[in-house]
Amino acid sequence: MDAKNIVLSMNHITKRFLGTVALKDVSVELYEGEILSIVGENGAGKSTLMKILSGIYPGSEYEGSIYVDGKKAVFSCPADSENAGIAMIYQELNLELDLTVTENILLGRLPVNKFGSIDWRKARGMAQEVLQQLHVQIDIDVTARSLSPSMQQLVCIARALIRNPRILILDEPTSVLTERETEELLTILDGLRMKGIPCIYISHKLDEVFRISNRIVVLRDGAYIRSFRREDGFDAEKIIEDMIGRRLVAMYPTIHKEIGPEIMRVEHFRVPHSFAPGKSIIEDVSFSLRKGEVLGLVGLVGSGRSELLNAMFGAVPKTAGTLYLDGQIAAINNPRDAKRSGLGLITEDRKKNGLVSAMSVKHNMTLTILQQIKRGLFLDFKKEDELSGRYFDALSIKAPGMDVQVASLSGGNQQKVILAKWLCTNLRVILMDEPTRGIDVGTKAEIYKLILELAAQGISIIMVSSEMPELLGVCDRFVVLSKGRVYKEFLRGEVGEVELIRAASNT
Amino acid sequence: MIREKHMPSLKKAGGKFLQRQESSIIIVTLLYVVFVSCVNPVFISSSNLFNILKNTGYSLITVVGMSLVLITGGLDLSVGSVLALGGIITGLACKAGLPVWLAILLAILTGVIVGLVNGLVIVKAGIPPLIVTLGTQYICRGLVSVITQGVPIYPLPDSLKAIDKIRVAGIPMVVIFAFLMVAIGYFLLGRTPFGRSIYALGGNEEAARISGINIHRTRVLVYVITSVLAVLSGVFITSRLGSAEAAAGSGFEMTVICGAVIGGVSSFGGVGSILGAAIGAFFMEVLTNSLTLMRVSVYWQNVVVGIVLILAVMLDQYKRRVMVKKSIKAVK
Repeated sequence: MDAKNIVLSMNHITKRFLGTVALKDVSVELYEGEILSIVGENGAGKSTLMKILSGIYPGSEYEGSIYVDGKKAVFSCPADSENAGIAMIYQELNLELDLTVTENILLGRLPVNKFGSIDWRKARGMAQEVLQQLHVQIDIDVTARSLSPSMQQLVCIARALIRNPRILILDEPTSVLTERETEELLTILDGLRMKGIPCIYISHKLDEVFRISNRIVVLRDGAYIRSFRREDGFDAEKIIEDMIGRRLVAMYPTIHKEIGPEIMRVEHFRVPHSFAPGKSIIEDVSFSLRKGEVLGLVGLVGSGRSELLNAMFGAVPKTAGTLYLDGQIAAINNPRDAKRSGLGLITEDRKKNGLVSAMSVKHNMTLTILQQIKRGLFLDFKKEDELSGRYFDALSIKAPGMDVQVASLSGGNQQKVILAKWLCTNLRVILMDEPTRGIDVGTKAEIYKLILELAAQGISIIMVSSEMPELLGVCDRFVVLSKGRVYKEFLRGEVGEVELIRAASNT
Repeated sequence: MIREKHMPSLKKAGGKFLQRQESSIIIVTLLYVVFVSCVNPVFISSSNLFNILKNTGYSLITVVGMSLVLITGGLDLSVGSVLALGGIITGLACKAGLPVWLAILLAILTGVIVGLVNGLVIVKAGIPPLIVTLGTQYICRGLVSVITQGVPIYPLPDSLKAIDKIRVAGIPMVVIFAFLMVAIGYFLLGRTPFGRSIYALGGNEEAARISGINIHRTRVLVYVITSVLAVLSGVFITSRLGSAEAAAGSGFEMTVICGAVIGGVSSFGGVGSILGAAIGAFFMEVLTNSLTLMRVSVYWQNVVVGIVLILAVMLDQYKRRVMVKKSIKAVK
C-alpha cells in the first residue's frame, strides 16, 4: 500500500435540484488497485454521485470536475461515461431475458463479418473468454431467463468487462444473492482489483463492505464526512455514527398506554422472493404481537420487511407459515380474509396500491366498507357521509372537502385518508409500511401521535421504516430481520440507533 | 370566496354544468345537430328524429354494459357476435314452437355463458381482454354460421315480431327498454357497492384488491352483464327485421365502444358515466343518420366513425393530462 496512482477523481462536486442541494462540495478519489466503498443512509447522496459518474446527469447540471486517469472528463450522456471506461452494474439486473448469454454480453457490440451480418463464431468466442476471466461456468447459448439471479449478475459483470473498463461501479450488487454467492462475487471483485480494475462498491450491507473494502467513504446529507482506511481498522461504531450524525432529536409525543396480552402470533413464515424465482426473501420468521403494542420491524432494504407484511395480509402468497389471532389459526389467503380478521395494511407506495387517485377523498375512505354501508341494494350515502366525516375530522385531514379528488391532497393527508380507510373497519392490527415516506415534518409528527393514540385505544401496530429515529421514537419493541430470519429482538429503551443499525447489518 | 358570491347565478350554474363529466358531449351533440339542421332541414323533421331515437335504442342497451366494462379498464369486442348469436337462438327456439319468453330466456342464458367465459378467462388466465374477447367474437360468429349455414332463420312467428312494434304512449318498446337499462345502469354504477367497486377496479386495481374488494367477481360480472345486454339488443333487432340473420351485428362493437368513449367513458378505466355514454350512443346515431342524409356513402361513413373514435380518445387523454397537472398544482 504505497504511493498509488489516482485513477478517478471527483473534485468539489455540487449538485442542486430545485430548491435542495443533493451534493455539497464532495470530493472523492479512487486509487489504482483498491476497492472503495461509499456508505451512507438513504438520501445521503450516494446515488446522485453515481448518476453523475455514469453520465445520467450531464456535465452542465452540476458544479465541479471529474478526472479519469488525469484527463478531464465531461459526460453529457451515459455513452460518454462508458467510453471513458466507467462501467456501472445496477441493482436491478438489466438483462434482455429472452436473449442468450452471448447476445447479452455483447449487446450493442456484436462483431460483424465482411458481409455485415453477425459473426457468431467470433461473438461466442468473445463471450466465452470473458466468462473464463471470471472463472465461471455458464452455458453461453442459453437465454438469460433460464439463469439464476446470481448467474445473471455475473453476466452483467461480464458485459461490463467486455468493454475493457477502467473502473467498475457496483450498486447494491448482492441484494438477490445468497451468502455463498455473495462470497464468490467478492472474490471475483478482489481478483479484478488485482488485475488492475479498481472498483467502487455501494451497499447497505456493512458486513460486506468491511470485508471487501480497502477504503470506506462516508457521505451524509449530501456532504463528504470522513474516509476510513483498512490499515487503520474499520470501527463499525464510528462509521455508523458518522452515517447518522448528531441529529436533532425530533419530538415524539408520549402517550400513556397499556400493553395487553398477546393478540397475534406469526409462526414460521416463509415468503418467496419477488423477482428471484425459487428463492425465499423470508426464510423462517416467527414473532408475536401484543394488544396495544407498537412493534418495529427493523431490517435493511431488501431484508424482506415489506414482503413479510404483505404476506401476513395475504396480498402476496407465502410458501409456509401460520398466523394466529387470539390463539386461533387465522386462514388469510387474500386481503379480503385479512380485512375480515381485523387486519389493515398501509402500503409502501401510496400511488401504486394505496389510493384510487381518480376518486374523491370520501370514496377512498369507504372502499373497505362498501358492503357495510349499504341499505338494501343501495349505498347509504348518509351513513357514508357520517362515517367518513367522523374520520375526516378525527384525523384533521386538510382538504377543501371530502368530495375533492384525493390526488390533489398532500402526501401526509393522503396517508391519513388511507389510515381512515382502515379505521372504518373493525380494525385490530394495522400493518404500516413506511408510513411517513415523502411526508413533511409537521405532518410526520401528527402521524406519530395518531399511531400512539391508536395503540392507546388497543389497536396493535406493526411498523416498517427505514428511518431508525422514528422507530426508536414510537415503537415498544423491535424485531430485527436479517438474512430472512429474526436476528434479534429488543425492547424500547434497551437499544440505541447505532445498535439497531449494527444488528440489522449483522456487524 | 368573495368573488364567487358576486358571480351571477346564471354563470355559476353554467360553470357547474361545464364541470360535469357529460358537458362536452352534450355541447358537441347540440352544435352538431344545429350544423346538420342548417345543411339539411330534413334532419330535424319529427319523423327523422323519431327514427334516430329508435335506432339509438338498439345499441344503447349494450352501451350500458360496455360502459361498465370500459370503466373497469376492460374491453369487450365480442358484443356484435353475441348479438347475432342471441338473435339466432331466439329465432330458432321460437320456430321450434317454444313460447317467446322461454326463447328469450334461452338466449339470455347463452349470453351468461359467453360472458362467464370472457370474464373467467381474463381473470384466471390473465390474458388481456382485447385478445380474449376477440377470440370469443370469432367463436360466436363461427357458431352462428355453423347453426344457420348462412341461411337466415325465417319466417319468425308474429309473437316475436310484435315485440318491436309495441308502443307505450307512442314510444317504441326498444326505446323504453333502453331507457330502463340506462336507469338501472345509472343506479348500479352510482349507488351500489358493486358500482363503486367498478370504479375502484378501473382506477387502481391493486388498491382495490388491498382494500378487500372482490376484484375477480366484479370483473367477471361486468362481462356477463354486457353479454346479456348484447343478447337483448339481438332480440330486439331480430324482432324488427322479422328474421334472424347470421351477419347481424357486424361492426356493432365499434358503434357501442365509440358511443361510450365519445360519451366520456375513459378507455383507460376508472372514469365515466352512464348518462354520458347514453348521450354518446345518441351522438353516434345522429352522426350516421346525418351522413346518410348528406349523401355520404356508407363506405365513407366508416372512415368518419374511425376518425371520431380516435379523436374522442385523444380528447380523453388530453383531459387526463390536464387533471394530473391540476392535481400537481394543488399539491404545490
